[in-house]
Amino acid sequence: MGRADLLWRAVAVLAALLVGGSTLTASAPRAEPVPAAPPGPLAVDSFRSARSYAAVAAPVRLRIPAAGIDTALGSLGRNPDGTVEVPTDPAEAGWFAEGPRPGQPGPAVILGHVDSRTGPAVFYALPTLRPGTLVTIDLSDGTGVAFRVAGQQRVAKTSFPTDEVYAPTLRPSLRLITCGGTFDHTSRHYRDNVIVYADPA
Amino acid sequence: MTDSRTRRALAVFVVVLTGLVAGSSALDRVGHLPLAAPAPADAALALQTNLAYHSVLAADLMRSRIRGDEDLARAAEGAVARNTDAMRDLVGAVLGDQWAEEFRLLWSAHVTALSNYSSGVEDPGARDAARAALSTFEGDLAGFLATGSRGRLSREAARAAAYLHVDHLMRQADAYAARDYARADQLYREGYAHTFALGETIAAALLGPAGAEALREPGWRLRSQLARLLGEHVVLAVAATRAGVTNAPDFAAAGEAVNANTRDLAGAIDTLFGAAAAQGFQSLWADHVDQLMAYTGGVAAGDAGRREAAVNRLKAFEREFAAFLSTATAGRLPATALAGTLLTHDQMLMAQIDAYAGKQYEQAHDSAYSTYHHMGEVAGDLALAFSGTLGDRAPAGGSQTGYGGTAGHHGPR
Repeated sequence: MGRADLLWRAVAVLAALLVGGSTLTASAPRAEPVPAAPPGPLAVDSFRSARSYAAVAAPVRLRIPAAGIDTALGSLGRNPDGTVEVPTDPAEAGWFAEGPRPGQPGPAVILGHVDSRTGPAVFYALPTLRPGTLVTIDLSDGTGVAFRVAGQQRVAKTSFPTDEVYAPTLRPSLRLITCGGTFDHTSRHYRDNVIVYADPA
Repeated sequence: MTDSRTRRALAVFVVVLTGLVAGSSALDRVGHLPLAAPAPADAALALQTNLAYHSVLAADLMRSRIRGDEDLARAAEGAVARNTDAMRDLVGAVLGDQWAEEFRLLWSAHVTALSNYSSGVEDPGARDAARAALSTFEGDLAGFLATGSRGRLSREAARAAAYLHVDHLMRQADAYAARDYARADQLYREGYAHTFALGETIAAALLGPAGAEALREPGWRLRSQLARLLGEHVVLAVAATRAGVTNAPDFAAAGEAVNANTRDLAGAIDTLFGAAAAQGFQSLWADHVDQLMAYTGGVAAGDAGRREAAVNRLKAFEREFAAFLSTATAGRLPATALAGTLLTHDQMLMAQIDAYAGKQYEQAHDSAYSTYHHMGEVAGDLALAFSGTLGDRAPAGGSQTGYGGTAGHHGPR
């Protein structure tokens, strides 16, 4: 092994150590600070950091004209057993308020029943949504956000894709969830969930 | 002096490190210590960060030419060349050496054309020649990517993406030359965002189905998105402190660009942890940026007292911000270690300011490059901790969203 090889290996080992630590412990070489600007008022002295941002308001209404869906949105959390709350009124959908609001950079989740004990409910037509279908959401500040359906899937509740639906990302998106598949008359629940994925329009 | 030499040596290794972060070390190309091909997720992130950094360096090079600052332009050229080498190595690790060299040649040609475009802002003939060269580049790159990806990225889509990249850079140069700095910096940000996203598109196409699958993992997506936001903080802070330390006329616009990134970061924290956390975050982050600017003002004024005061206030920020994130992530980010990481970040940015003020432009570029890649590593740590914390809060299982009133009916289910 030549000197050059040895040198490169030494460099690589140290660099790998730095990578392994994930956070660099060496500060970059410092030049001796010297005045850089001509005398006079400095623009940098008037700089003030931004201390507020444009927050996205809470969702209040969901509209999917192509499926005849037009519903107020309640607020949902988690049950004591860790499962997601569902709307108490089958005619009304709800927004999972522990996650992102629609229009924020993240996956917003809205849930609604496919049926009541006697007939169709607010998300009965959800499985009919096709890619490209327009979904609009009114926000509490009078503004709105729009999405287009990207696709949907039907999954067994026993293998619900929690990461795909809820995992934090910073990409604006929307998930609409209801029940599907066959009904288990013993547990009184459907066996599957239908998940519609939508992206900003 | 010994300490200074040690720090300089470490800085060299940090520059080497940037090559490693790119997925394939500079050592490969000289035939020593070849490294294994990077994991798809790492390769994709390296392509994103390096491609986005290219847009920043290319814009800096063009602005240097427009200002007629040849020393700065030469240093910027060197930085762009090192960034090109990092991307060439990455292409080589994925596609092979022959592809790597072909990429380097066509990529370097477009850097030259961009430089010529900005040098000829008042020479229509030179600009037309540069435009023609850039149009040729767009076609060449589109062909390269379409072939290299075996058609997974169409020639048309690749050409459109290349066109937009070039267009961002030319228009920011035009705006900068016209002293419309707000517009120039808006395009600077758009160019960064476009190339960062383009990196994912190219990576997914070159890496094939298995690689593309890795890029759909939520954990990778969060890591990538945090790297974009935090990397942008670095490049905009570097641009603003350079304008600030020289009291340049574009400082106000550069400062507003930093503020826009700060707002985006606060919005991201709101998404992840809620509005109250976002407000706490932004208050601390704003202190951080304010003190970097205060340090910049101290350097510009030659006032050691102001510099020292800013450094001391940054130390307070580092402790408080580390404690904030540690609490938010239920201890997944240890406060002491994180405070050290933040100290390194601040030191790197201040070293960059010092070097730029002293017209040691090559050193300033090296510091900025190291700071940028360091932030990419920090983003990885944050993403891991955030994913773990928020994963614990995700609902368990599916939803009971049906009562059976239509069970057995022929319906849409």
